[in-house]
Amino acid sequence: MGSFELAGVSKSFRTGPPALTDISFRYEGAGAVGYLGPNGAGKTTTLKLLVGLLRPSAGHAYVNGVDPMVDRKQALWDVGALIETPEPYPTLNVLEALDAVGRARGLNRDDIDREVDRCHALLDLPPLGQRVGWLSKGQLQRVALASALMGNPSVLLLDEPTSGLDPAERVLVRRTLNQLKRDHLVFMSSHQMFEVSEVCDQLVFLDHGRVLLRDRVDRVAGRIRSREVDVEFDRRVDPAAMSGVRAVAADLSALSERRWRISFDGSDATRVRLLAACQSVAPVVQFANTSLLLEEAYLELIPRPAEDS
Amino acid sequence: MTDAPTVGFPEGELGPVVRQTVTDFEQWVFVTFHQLSHYVRTNRFYGLLAFVVLIAGLTLAFEVDAGIATVRVQQLFRPSEYLSNYLVYTGLFVVLSAAFFGGDALSVDFSTGTGYYMLVLPIRRPVLLAGRYAAAALVTMAIVGVYYVFGTVGAVYFFGAGSIPWTLLEASYAIAAVFTLAALSVAFCISAFVRSPAAGVLVTVLALYVGFATLQGTIELAGFEPWFSLSYAGGAMAAVLDTDFVHLQTVPLGEDQYYTIWSATVSEGLEIMAGYVAVFLPLSAYLYQRKESTG
Repeated sequence: MGSFELAGVSKSFRTGPPALTDISFRYEGAGAVGYLGPNGAGKTTTLKLLVGLLRPSAGHAYVNGVDPMVDRKQALWDVGALIETPEPYPTLNVLEALDAVGRARGLNRDDIDREVDRCHALLDLPPLGQRVGWLSKGQLQRVALASALMGNPSVLLLDEPTSGLDPAERVLVRRTLNQLKRDHLVFMSSHQMFEVSEVCDQLVFLDHGRVLLRDRVDRVAGRIRSREVDVEFDRRVDPAAMSGVRAVAADLSALSERRWRISFDGSDATRVRLLAACQSVAPVVQFANTSLLLEEAYLELIPRPAEDS
Repeated sequence: MTDAPTVGFPEGELGPVVRQTVTDFEQWVFVTFHQLSHYVRTNRFYGLLAFVVLIAGLTLAFEVDAGIATVRVQQLFRPSEYLSNYLVYTGLFVVLSAAFFGGDALSVDFSTGTGYYMLVLPIRRPVLLAGRYAAAALVTMAIVGVYYVFGTVGAVYFFGAGSIPWTLLEASYAIAAVFTLAALSVAFCISAFVRSPAAGVLVTVLALYVGFATLQGTIELAGFEPWFSLSYAGGAMAAVLDTDFVHLQTVPLGEDQYYTIWSATVSEGLEIMAGYVAVFLPLSAYLYQRKESTG
């Protein structure tokens, strides 16, 4: 099973504040680790350090126990990486681009063909004879992801893997990642909270180059008490009929004739009373938090720019 | 090889994948082939090839128009003299090709998405560099080879196949190959320095074609032998074919004033070229190894 580790890693560039400050964490085995943080938090920098595209200013990065700065070939031997927007040579076709990766990773001809078929089935790749230069952004991203999977490496380092994909492609990639994490170690940065909550088991929150929180996804979500729910009735409801709900809620607003948004103190007791009050008005079709718990956790941990100042 | 199916993939779509150890040499061969496959499909390859064919073809056409007798007199009835003069643009074509294929060979990894594709593979950077270097050299020699074919066709047409100095012609082509390696070493070094591919190509052309020629002329005017100039060393490609080769020529400019022109001997030219490879290629590898993807 694969592993990756950052041991006291800091990274500074010539200008600007440090991109990363004394980052330390290690994961090994199988599963998916989400890497969350605002733009400029240092997520891509971290991934680049792990594959040796950047050199740490202090500390060491290890993949499968090997520092890529010491032995790049050995460190990356069992690693598939998708950083930023990888672009194979535009003159080559999809098959040639994947073939290059397979050869670099020590696959024989038969295994390359099988791996290309597997990636084709998993990611619905564009026609293999199509030139890379003619691919759409989404197609290119899927080819890049396929290149990370070629040779079945045990560690996958993915920088916003669904960036540039349409909804159907996102579903496809999420499904693929959910399969992969059963026996691979996936480390993925993302801005898509739904994607992270769907795929990841562990989370690392990063801001201004520092780790704010590391924990299991369910624990992080468990810390958050949503203070807002949307309720949908099976029929039109007059505002006057909502007086019983209003008595329990902190605030109430109509989203449509059947849908209402209710703010409350976030406690389970109030939530139970609210649901009962709603059900006494009319049959309830849906009663759900307005946003993902993970998203609320993110917003709670990482101040928005206006609050930041 | 294990019989156990890998878990987590659609059944039947993934079996155990055997990953063999790949030597650096094997990776070098594949990188060279991969790079070559790219180079020979680029517009710059076809553009440069068309340019070479145009220059070589027009030169030949003008000579044919002048007539066999005229050309024979002009070239002192010597096919080697003809070849030496005909192939005078070899250095230019090598420099252009080195700039086109070497000027952005490394910077492309740090300014486009190519680096995010290639540099995350388990390949040592010096191996990547060596593969690209070999591919650029092969493409350049193919382009120069076309030029030499035109020259040879002309020599056969004007002097007959029996009189062609094949050994000297082969030697000239071999020196052109060494000159290519030297020019590519400089181009790769520039490419490792700059971030923009376009800037790499431009700076390479300026350095190799304009810079060295200007420096050489200035040094010669001052009365010194420009032994450090790569363009000076490139003269060996023609020198090997020139039966009346003179290392040192003094041209009178006026009363008591002379201009000295040096021409590199074959051995001197090869030594200078080898020196450029020995200095600039390791420097390129060092710079490439240390370069970071900060974009």
